[in-house]
Amino acid sequence: MRDRPIRILLVEDNPGDVRLTIEAFKDNRVETPLEVARDGIEALAYLRHEGAHAGKPLPDLILLDLNLPRMDGGEVLAAIKADPALMHIPVVVLTTSRAEQDVQRAYQLQAACFITKPVDFECFIQAVKLIDAFWLSVVTLPCGAR
Amino acid sequence: MSENCPVDPATHATQPRRAARARAARATDPRFDEILASANDAIISIDEAQTITLFNRGAERIFGYSAADIIGQPLDRLIPERFVARHAGQVKDFSAAPEASRMMAQRGEIYGRRCDGSEFPAEASISKFRGPDGLVFTVILRDITDRRAAEQILRGAHDELEKRVRERTAELEERNAQLQQEIHERRRAEKRLAEQARELARSNADLEQFASVASHDLQEPLRMVASYTQLLNRRYRSRLDADADEFMGFIVDGALRMQRLINDLLAFSRVGSRGKGFQPVDLGTTVAEALGSLRTAIEESGAHIRIGALPVVHGDPTQLEQLLQNLIGNAIKFRKGPEPQVHIEARREETLWRIDVCDDGIGIDPRFAERIFVIFQRLHTAAEYPGTGIGLAICKKIVERHGGHIDVRSTPGQGACFSFTLPDREEPPHA
Repeated sequence: MRDRPIRILLVEDNPGDVRLTIEAFKDNRVETPLEVARDGIEALAYLRHEGAHAGKPLPDLILLDLNLPRMDGGEVLAAIKADPALMHIPVVVLTTSRAEQDVQRAYQLQAACFITKPVDFECFIQAVKLIDAFWLSVVTLPCGAR
Repeated sequence: MSENCPVDPATHATQPRRAARARAARATDPRFDEILASANDAIISIDEAQTITLFNRGAERIFGYSAADIIGQPLDRLIPERFVARHAGQVKDFSAAPEASRMMAQRGEIYGRRCDGSEFPAEASISKFRGPDGLVFTVILRDITDRRAAEQILRGAHDELEKRVRERTAELEERNAQLQQEIHERRRAEKRLAEQARELARSNADLEQFASVASHDLQEPLRMVASYTQLLNRRYRSRLDADADEFMGFIVDGALRMQRLINDLLAFSRVGSRGKGFQPVDLGTTVAEALGSLRTAIEESGAHIRIGALPVVHGDPTQLEQLLQNLIGNAIKFRKGPEPQVHIEARREETLWRIDVCDDGIGIDPRFAERIFVIFQRLHTAAEYPGTGIGLAICKKIVERHGGHIDVRSTPGQGACFSFTLPDREEPPHA
């Protein structure tokens, strides 16, 4: 189906979470090229190839935390879905929140899905495994940027 | 009565002559006698020397003298002594005045003196004309004792009325002042209430904020602790000893338990803040749904659930399901042995429905009947019966939000009956 590994952009400010997500992917299987943006501004800069991000390929999937400094996840999501060059990229909201209004807002802003990070690491690995399996194997993703 | 009043004999001698003269005068007109006799008022004439020359029947009646006795007497006889001097002056003044008649007593009341010496208030006019023997004064006088008495009564009544009006006004003023005071106090109370309401709203907002902090910010570090300990365990288990494994186990347990507590606290706080509007809820359906959620526990325990006729009530369907699920779940959880019996039934009590969830489980010592509804209060160790102690606290909060009351009756070792009330919406129960 795909002649290259899937590319993921993780938008997450907490280094602990970044590492945990990387570990979880590592634990699961393949080396997934995982780019990390530390906040919303950096995420949009990356996606728009600005500055140091010039020439970087667009991701196939975005994992987005909601609680971000400078520009929160909801705003990032809205900006992505309003940008014709980016709107095709599925955004998986991966966050600590289980608040109903966060869930509601995420789906209104066309998040692909909403996942609450499990506290239990085993469950987290399971969740990442499912993300991995679903988005990286089951789903046919749109063609990303060249 | 006039016969009983003798006239001073000293002056009596002049009387016949003058009377004869008066008779001669009135003989000129035959109607004269009749007018004088029939007049109700006293009509008295005097000459310039103020000697009485005419005294009609009305005057006899009023003063008590007979005309025969008084004619020829000085007018002073008919005047209380203290007025005599003044009266003489007034007649003199009138005799010189240009007008032919005037009302007497223009400067105050006048009084007559009866034959028996008693006085009476009077109203009188005086007129004059020049006769053959000089000026003739005629006084027409009326006894106004009755009128005065009536006036007195009237004045008394008027005074009484005024007094009552004053009293009533004073009463009204006092009542008004009281009302003003009450209004003032009520306003103050309202203001206090409004302040308390604002304070409550603020404290509610604080709690909401707390709940939000608890749901996000407190969980974040907790997740780090739990996840990295687990990652450590996963990666390095074989390289550490059994103690390290046990310690890591405690760390993870602690973190996970804390997370459950936080989530429970959040759920508890949301009963009030996230409750939905009330609507008709068929408790039969609600119980069926609660049993669906408890399917595993029911199957594992072999519980027998007996359900009576349940009414349609007015409430929040999600919360009522949670309420029944917690109560039925507890009934199964605190069983004595396999195949516990759970009985759910409803009965009408005047304006409310009472719903009982009874079991044949371990029961509750009545000493703890209040405590079990307090958040995180537990009667058993986590090893005996797992749980954070949130279930009944949430039940109580849900019932109270619906305007009801929850309590428990129990004999330890013989089961417990949790009983809650919901306001009746008059829908009949059905099976």
